[in-house]
Amino acid sequence: MSLKSYSRARAVHVMLVYTGGCNGCDIEIVNCIFSPKYDAEQYKIFLTWNPREADVLVVTGPVTAHNEKPLKAIYEAIPEPKAVIAAGACALMGGVYKNIHGDIPSEEICGPVDQVIPVDAKVPGCAVRPEDVLAGAVAALPKLLDAE
Amino acid sequence: MTIVDSLIAVLAVIGTLIVAFVVSVWLPGIERKLIQARIQQRIGPPLSSPGLMAPIKFFFKEIINPNSPMPKLYNALPLIGIIITLFLLMIIMPQLYPLAAFTSVIALVGLLKIEEVLYMFMGTLSKSVLSVKMPFPDVVKGAKHPEVPRSFIEELSSMRAFRLIAFGSFPIYLAIFIPVAMAGSIFIEDIVAYQQLHGPVLFSLAGILGAVVYFFGFMILLNEYPFSILKTKADVIEGPLLEYASKYRAYVFISRGLLIFVLACIFSTLFLGIPPNILSWTILLNIVVTLAFTILMAIVSAFSPIFTFKQFYPVVAGISLLGVLGIIASFL
Amino acid sequence: MDKDKITNETPKKQVIETEVPMGTVHSAAIEPYRIRLFVEDEIVKDAEITVGVNHRGVERIMEGLPVEKANSLTEKICGICSNSHIWNSVLVAEKALGIEVPERAQYIRIIMEELERLHSHMLYLAHGNEVLGHETFSMRLFYIRETVMELLRMIGGNRVQYGVSILGGIRPRADLNQMRIQKINEGMDFVEDKISNFAERFISDPMIMSRITGVGILKKEDALRLAASGPTLRATGVSIDLRKDMMEYDPFEFDVITQDDGDVKSNLLVRVLEIPEAIKIIRQAVKNLPEGGITNRSWEMYDTPITKSYIEVPRGKLYHSYALEEGRVRHSIVRTPSIANIGAMEQACIGCHITDAQLAVVQCDPCFTCTDRAIQIIKL
Repeated sequence: MSLKSYSRARAVHVMLVYTGGCNGCDIEIVNCIFSPKYDAEQYKIFLTWNPREADVLVVTGPVTAHNEKPLKAIYEAIPEPKAVIAAGACALMGGVYKNIHGDIPSEEICGPVDQVIPVDAKVPGCAVRPEDVLAGAVAALPKLLDAE
Repeated sequence: MTIVDSLIAVLAVIGTLIVAFVVSVWLPGIERKLIQARIQQRIGPPLSSPGLMAPIKFFFKEIINPNSPMPKLYNALPLIGIIITLFLLMIIMPQLYPLAAFTSVIALVGLLKIEEVLYMFMGTLSKSVLSVKMPFPDVVKGAKHPEVPRSFIEELSSMRAFRLIAFGSFPIYLAIFIPVAMAGSIFIEDIVAYQQLHGPVLFSLAGILGAVVYFFGFMILLNEYPFSILKTKADVIEGPLLEYASKYRAYVFISRGLLIFVLACIFSTLFLGIPPNILSWTILLNIVVTLAFTILMAIVSAFSPIFTFKQFYPVVAGISLLGVLGIIASFL
Repeated sequence: MDKDKITNETPKKQVIETEVPMGTVHSAAIEPYRIRLFVEDEIVKDAEITVGVNHRGVERIMEGLPVEKANSLTEKICGICSNSHIWNSVLVAEKALGIEVPERAQYIRIIMEELERLHSHMLYLAHGNEVLGHETFSMRLFYIRETVMELLRMIGGNRVQYGVSILGGIRPRADLNQMRIQKINEGMDFVEDKISNFAERFISDPMIMSRITGVGILKKEDALRLAASGPTLRATGVSIDLRKDMMEYDPFEFDVITQDDGDVKSNLLVRVLEIPEAIKIIRQAVKNLPEGGITNRSWEMYDTPITKSYIEVPRGKLYHSYALEEGRVRHSIVRTPSIANIGAMEQACIGCHITDAQLAVVQCDPCFTCTDRAIQIIKL
């Protein structure tokens, strides 16, 4: 393993962007970072709130209309290589909110996330379990490690 | 002084700088893993991750243009910070004492001042996406005060950096002048020589007061919790450092560890009479002092919330008063 | 609430130095919302909270759905107080259709609600400590909270959205047997012990006390005028707890906690002191748990006019209304406690140092996902 991939595997900075779900996934992800029981730092995953520092973007929620542009802005602010994890049913397929107007195209939900920004790993669950979030972060790692 | 002597001196300086780098990359890991994680009853990151692997990782990231009116100057600032920190280390090395004018406490204070001023520049030059630039329609019909000028959160940090320069650095300067008052000279050579004759400054009343004051000054200079008003998560997120990416962020990471080591070395020079010198076994004592400072700082920051100015002013005033008492005690 | 009167009270010719906008992604506010702080020399002179960022229109989706589906959809309004939403929507439907609920089911619903209050209050305290910058306390609270989450998972089968209440009772899965009761008792002992230790440590910490005393003051008159609800209102000295008026809570003994000052300290203390009260209710419910069935399946669906229900949830007063037609929801309105507290948040910010502004918002226990269902969205 080269120094590049080794160092990338040993320090992963995660940023959390929350785009309007029900708070459940959000709290569980924060839980998996802050709770001593899960303690993401032991897996070399650090929480940051600055897109310039982040490697991995964790997105929850079905990107609502007002959240689309901020999400894109934050995604663009992250320097390469970067990976995106979509966490939770809403982020994966719009959840229960997607069919807000039935057959009429929705003006309020722009999601799921992969219609707004490219997604590398998907974590299912409503709400996601902390263990699954950690597994998702690991699943997104190969993209980071193999990147230029 | 022969050529061989000066060659050895140059090699010693370079060797000490290398030791400083090697020690400083482990300090954030020690702080995070051994102290804070233990206090918080969790496992914590590996020792090498926060200080060593994170900067290496940032070196391999894409270099981007920061959102800044002067991107090149902005990106150069952490490098300037590292260079100033290295100068700080160099002027306390015994090999450079022949350059008398530079190896004085005045030069020390001046360089520390530049270190603080850098944050002001960083704050004014950073224009992050996280506040005003966030694409969100909030100034719309019916919004409150639509005509008010808008400022970035980094500008707040810049203002706070300005205030820190005004009053926040009192403790460390007062503490530095306690050994000066005891030795009766502003030259570091004389201060070291005085301590070799009369024993360390630390083992006197003035020295103990000075050490306490120095420790808090050290924390204020490093912007550690509880004194991290420049970069609190509660409002300014990371403040002046928001826009650093890739290798420039790596410099930010390195400069912090280096500053901890250098400030601890300054302490051991001024209060224990042990300048950092690779040619002597006493460099181990410097490293021990560094570790002690790191551990103490980690403990204090793990048990304290962020101070706002309401708490900051009285704390700084109290510590400064202690420093003044120390200076008075040093004349007794 | 007459919003015009409030805005008119601020002087017209207010000169403001600068505006600092924060959000929608910010470290102190995990949820997306925008706060514009009007600042003069780092002191907040005025604040404006823009909500509507998370608008998803849950009520709109609920219209036309069968009642059972609509009930489970109300749970998706909020991931923190999900049980209170499903409980209240089930209560409304039961009230409208005249369904009798077995007593055992009532007790188990109360147990779930109080467990939820426990985890919500602990989350609030952990978030408050995180905003204060005290990572250690925050992690400590998450550690204590984990016990409650495990209990919720044991009863409901999921850590966040457990969906215990159904029309006429509770899900069979959520019934309590002896092993579960024993685990609940053990968990309550653990939480009570740890929380009381934490509270002692928290109150005796001089640095924390100096940070939170006298910050973000909400006066009693302001709180009443802005129609604040729940613990935020109780922290200003108004002794109102809807649980005292709810017939579901009649068999239980508990005290209404109030504090006088309305600042961050009072808000935190109200929540800290409500945790033992919730534990008290859970213990009583578990001890006196009646025998019998848990679901009443003999009911019929018919058309009803608009029926309303108010209950007390961890954040305040929750309102649900239903009108049913042919077994489907014709009309539904949800009014969550956080929307009542938005005015209180803006008011509490004013006069704070800017570092305390987010703290003053957090002290009202905001839940912007709850809030944002019913806001009229501004066209871009």
